[in-house]
Amino acid sequence: MSGGGPPRKRNFKIEEFKNRVELNPKYAERTWKVLEHAIHEIYNHNASGLSFEELYRSAYNMVLHKYGEKLYGGLESTMTRRLKEISRSIEVAQGGLFLEELNTKWMDHNKALQMIRDILMYMDRTYVPSSSRTPVHELGLNLWRDHIIHSPMIHSRLLDTLLDLIHKERMGEVINRGLMRSITKMLMDLGPAVYQDDFEKPFLEVSASFYSGESQEFIQCCDCGNYLKKSERRLNEEMDRVSHYLDAGSEAKITSVVEKEMIANHMHRLVHMENSGLVNMLIDDKYDDLARMYNLFRRVTDGLLTIRNLMTSYLRETGKQLVTDPEKLKDPVEFVQRLLNEKDKHDKIINVAFGNDKTFQNALNSSFEYFINLNNRSPEFISLYVDDKLRKGLKGATEEDVEVILDKVMMLFRYLQEKDVFEKYYKQHLAKRLLSGKTVSDDAERSMIVKLKTECGYQFTSKLEGMFTDMKTSQDTMQDFYAKKSEELGDGPTLDVHILTTGSWPTQPCPPCNLPPEILTICDKFRSYYLGTHSGRRLTWQTNMGTADIKATFGKGQKHELNVSTYQMCVLMLFNSTDGLTYKDIEQYTKIPASDLKRCLQSLACVKGKNVLRKEPMSKDISEDDTFYFNDKFTSKLVKVKIGTVVAQKESEPEKQETRQRVEEDRKPQIEAAIVRIMKSRRVLDHNSIVAEVTKQLQARFLPNPVVIKKRIESLIEREFLERDKTDRKLYTYLA
Amino acid sequence: MAITGASEKVALQSLKASDWHLEGAFDVFYSQPQVAVTNFRRLEELYNRYKEPDAEMIMVEGISQLCEDLQVDPQDIVMLVISWHMKASTMCEFSHEEFIGGLQSIGVDSIEKLCEKLPALRAELKDDQKFREIYNFAFTWAKEKGQKSLSLETAIGMWQLLFAERHWPLIDYWCQFLQVRHNKAISRDTWSQLLEFVKTIDPQLTNYDEEGAWPYLIDEFVEYLIENGVVQHSK
Repeated sequence: MSGGGPPRKRNFKIEEFKNRVELNPKYAERTWKVLEHAIHEIYNHNASGLSFEELYRSAYNMVLHKYGEKLYGGLESTMTRRLKEISRSIEVAQGGLFLEELNTKWMDHNKALQMIRDILMYMDRTYVPSSSRTPVHELGLNLWRDHIIHSPMIHSRLLDTLLDLIHKERMGEVINRGLMRSITKMLMDLGPAVYQDDFEKPFLEVSASFYSGESQEFIQCCDCGNYLKKSERRLNEEMDRVSHYLDAGSEAKITSVVEKEMIANHMHRLVHMENSGLVNMLIDDKYDDLARMYNLFRRVTDGLLTIRNLMTSYLRETGKQLVTDPEKLKDPVEFVQRLLNEKDKHDKIINVAFGNDKTFQNALNSSFEYFINLNNRSPEFISLYVDDKLRKGLKGATEEDVEVILDKVMMLFRYLQEKDVFEKYYKQHLAKRLLSGKTVSDDAERSMIVKLKTECGYQFTSKLEGMFTDMKTSQDTMQDFYAKKSEELGDGPTLDVHILTTGSWPTQPCPPCNLPPEILTICDKFRSYYLGTHSGRRLTWQTNMGTADIKATFGKGQKHELNVSTYQMCVLMLFNSTDGLTYKDIEQYTKIPASDLKRCLQSLACVKGKNVLRKEPMSKDISEDDTFYFNDKFTSKLVKVKIGTVVAQKESEPEKQETRQRVEEDRKPQIEAAIVRIMKSRRVLDHNSIVAEVTKQLQARFLPNPVVIKKRIESLIEREFLERDKTDRKLYTYLA
Repeated sequence: MAITGASEKVALQSLKASDWHLEGAFDVFYSQPQVAVTNFRRLEELYNRYKEPDAEMIMVEGISQLCEDLQVDPQDIVMLVISWHMKASTMCEFSHEEFIGGLQSIGVDSIEKLCEKLPALRAELKDDQKFREIYNFAFTWAKEKGQKSLSLETAIGMWQLLFAERHWPLIDYWCQFLQVRHNKAISRDTWSQLLEFVKTIDPQLTNYDEEGAWPYLIDEFVEYLIENGVVQHSK
């Protein structure tokens, strides 16, 4: 403002341009050309000569002056043209260079795209969203996809090349993994759909047929173990391949292809392969092979099921043979030992090779349960095994060893269905052990009882414990007897009495036999002593269960101490007064029952090394016409000679029948008690439900026969504990 | 009572029903369909005819006489029906109460009337419900006093009698089976369940169900039939 008068106050208004200033279209065209040129330069690796600021501004202006569309369109067509050229250059690449060229060009394109995007950022941020166009970067990728990857000349060649390389690598060649990685990454960058459709799907198909073929080949020539090794190798290879140059998402897909082609399709054939299949592996303890099989089969549906089923049927077959082969049943202790060995063997296999898989453990258990119960003498034999161990087998064993063996036996015990039969036999065998003083360790005995109690409850073992108590009490009684009565007894034979509570012990009714007078005297003294302190009790001598130690002097003055049964003692003492006696004499004097007497005489006269009596005639069997003489000429290297016959043995047929019958009789009241218990709480119940409930209640002891249950129900109806419902004949009602 | 010959109980009922009007009572009485005219005195006479000279029971001789009078065989099943009406507790004996009560419930008071009723009594066996009652009654009636079960011999005899009326093709096999395999007394449950068996299971045993909670004797019978090829094993 020039000087002059005072400044005039004037409102200073800034007005819009009255005329719209249009950007000269030519100006737009010019600007575009600049940008186009820049794009080309970028692709030509001449970006350094460009001014970023200028280019950005140009693009900015275009968009600002509403030339966004021209810009975008120009970009698109320029890039397209460029890519077509690039495509041609890739197409002409020969052989191995094809992939490299593709890769290189891809890298370039990416770099270029980055720069272009930066330059056109304003457009990307304003024009693109408002006109719903694809952003620059994405546009660049799409164009690459459409004009390079999907170009007819490149598309299938790319795929074939990739697959070919993979195939080569599978066949053992080394390939350029880095390049592969780049290419697959490129495909992933272009979009998962591109990766999947243009590479992954065909890759999986080709792999499937590759492995299908290979597996056929292998299975013809390899045995199971080797086949599995190869399969495992291939599986690991594929996983390795994925980690090196495929997308991670492909891992699960390719592994399932391998699993299907190599494992799932041949599962049955592998497992059943002659001489090398599952069964052979089990028999030969091939832990590695089994572990491999387990790990591979675990990956496919029903893989483990296949293994488990075959293992189960194999176990059942073998077990069944073991248990029904008459040869193997001759020695009960051997028999049980074999069972334990089988169990140990398979436990180890499951542990080492199958990772302690519970389902396999269960299959093992159910197989054992199945075949152990096929032989109804199993309870008896297991008891005999324990008897053998407690009698001598565990001599010198440490406490730990004892526990280990007893625990193993308990495992077999758990498989038994007829636990009540076991109880009967165990009682018998325990009685013999206790009475003959032949147990290796009291602690071991007690440990076994504790285990049985834990397994079956107090009732199972209360009588057994009673037996132990009786033994202890008897000891105390004897001490007291001798303390009090020693003057009276003087020089007579020493008596050791075991007082057995009836009901706890498996005693059989014992007909009395005639004891020698010396013995009788002291026995009577004991009886009066005992009844003096325990009036109201009744004592019966069990002459079939006792033992005696006799000092005998033979012809040349050799003195021996003979350990014999009570019956044998009665017989031998007769020979103090005469030298020879007939069978009938002996029978008359001793009143021992015939079958026992024969056995007794047989052990005294017919066993080499123990023949303290001489029999005429010299046959092996005892007949009623035989005569017996004191054997002057008896010799033995041992001073103490044991001739007793009280060792627990496997029962003879008739004895077995008898025991079984007693067991059946014992079961009837148990079944009835169960029925009454159930009906008392349910009041009304149908037949099948009663049978099911009873079976469930009694299963810890034995498996009741439904026919027996039915008979018991009818007996209870007869005795008016139950009645049939008047309208529904299958229903029973409890009568209070 | 003198006019109608009704028992005291019935007379009282009729009077009560008619509100103690005598004429009304007669109407009530005669309108009751089932109450037949029985003369109490005549029943007593009949009883005295058959009863033992020194006991208050009709025993074997009396019963034989009765049968003779009726012109029926003592083994005739109609005697069972009559016994059932009498609610007799044991075979071959009728107490005073049983005899009188029984004849009243049949609705007769003389031998002639009883004779006339015989066909009707026989017909009662054709009725399903009545047959079942008579059948189950027969068990208690035929067994020894104080015993829980029926001896096999008697049971077989009774069965043959009863199943002559209601035909069961397997009756002979059943009796055979019992004699060969069982040879013990028959429990009440077995007795009554056999009738159910006969009624529901067809002679070829096609609808026999092993899980059917039949008494074990019947299960064994089925096995026996299969063993001897009388029926086919269906499974």
